[in-house]
Amino acid sequence: MPPSKLLALSLLLTLAACSPSEQATQQVEQAESNAFKLSGDVKHIMQWVLDPAAFGVWGSAGSIITAAGTRELAPTTDDGWQAVEHSAAVVAASGNLLMMPGRAVDNEGWKNIAQGLVDAGLLAQAAAKNQDSDALFDAGAQIYRVCKACHSVYIRGDKAADSP
Amino acid sequence: MSFKKIATVAGLALGSLVSAQSNAHHAFGAEFDAKAPLTLRGDVTRIEWVNPHAWFHIEVAKADGTKENWRIEGGTPNTLLRRGINKRSIAVGTEIVVDGYWAKDRSNSANGRNITLANGKKLFMGSSGTGAPEDGADKK
Repeated sequence: MPPSKLLALSLLLTLAACSPSEQATQQVEQAESNAFKLSGDVKHIMQWVLDPAAFGVWGSAGSIITAAGTRELAPTTDDGWQAVEHSAAVVAASGNLLMMPGRAVDNEGWKNIAQGLVDAGLLAQAAAKNQDSDALFDAGAQIYRVCKACHSVYIRGDKAADSP
Repeated sequence: MSFKKIATVAGLALGSLVSAQSNAHHAFGAEFDAKAPLTLRGDVTRIEWVNPHAWFHIEVAKADGTKENWRIEGGTPNTLLRRGINKRSIAVGTEIVVDGYWAKDRSNSANGRNITLANGKKLFMGSSGTGAPEDGADKK
């Protein structure tokens, strides 16, 4: 048996021998010693990752109406749809980034909202993949509902410094 | 605020028209001033039916006869739909009166609360739960 498989087997046997509380302790220790290296706080994720991606989705669905007529914002080319799919994938990934140790503010509430963001991002991703502008518009609304739900709980005051 | 103050507000307004698609995602208090209610009367020139907020652009006639463009933030399209406003409810060129709150940076931007149509019909165009004053139609 290759050494790597032997190591994995021995780890499994060790875990199997542990009580549930010991396993929980090991998971905590593992999380503390994992390879995550935070590259920024929640505001950083909002400003540099999530907001641009969300606006990539929002700006690709809907209508602009002027005296000259109505312009639909949905992409008209495969490349355009792929760009939206990319943005939607980043929105979904952002939900997981927000759950990383060091960013999560609490346990259940934060996790539920972050998972909701993953789900909304995946909805938008599927809509873009199917080139379905109505579904993309609805997914954009779902993304905003998650944003609003999170902000209503975790944003404190009008100043960025007041919030996580 | 009475309509008499419309010209005053319009005269004080700074900035130029915003032609690009509006790009905002924020709590009310981050961008708008709850202590600066205003009323604007103008013709609708552009409707952005987009998430996360719909935007209505209007052309306001100033006391000196010149005109300036304002952009008014509304609720989400889904919120507006639930209140009976769709992207065709207010035609471009229609005169409307908007009650809302001025932007903190005093640009020609406002958060809209109520729209009054030429026939007197009043529509609530804002969002709920954004931190805006008196979520729902403001008390007089």
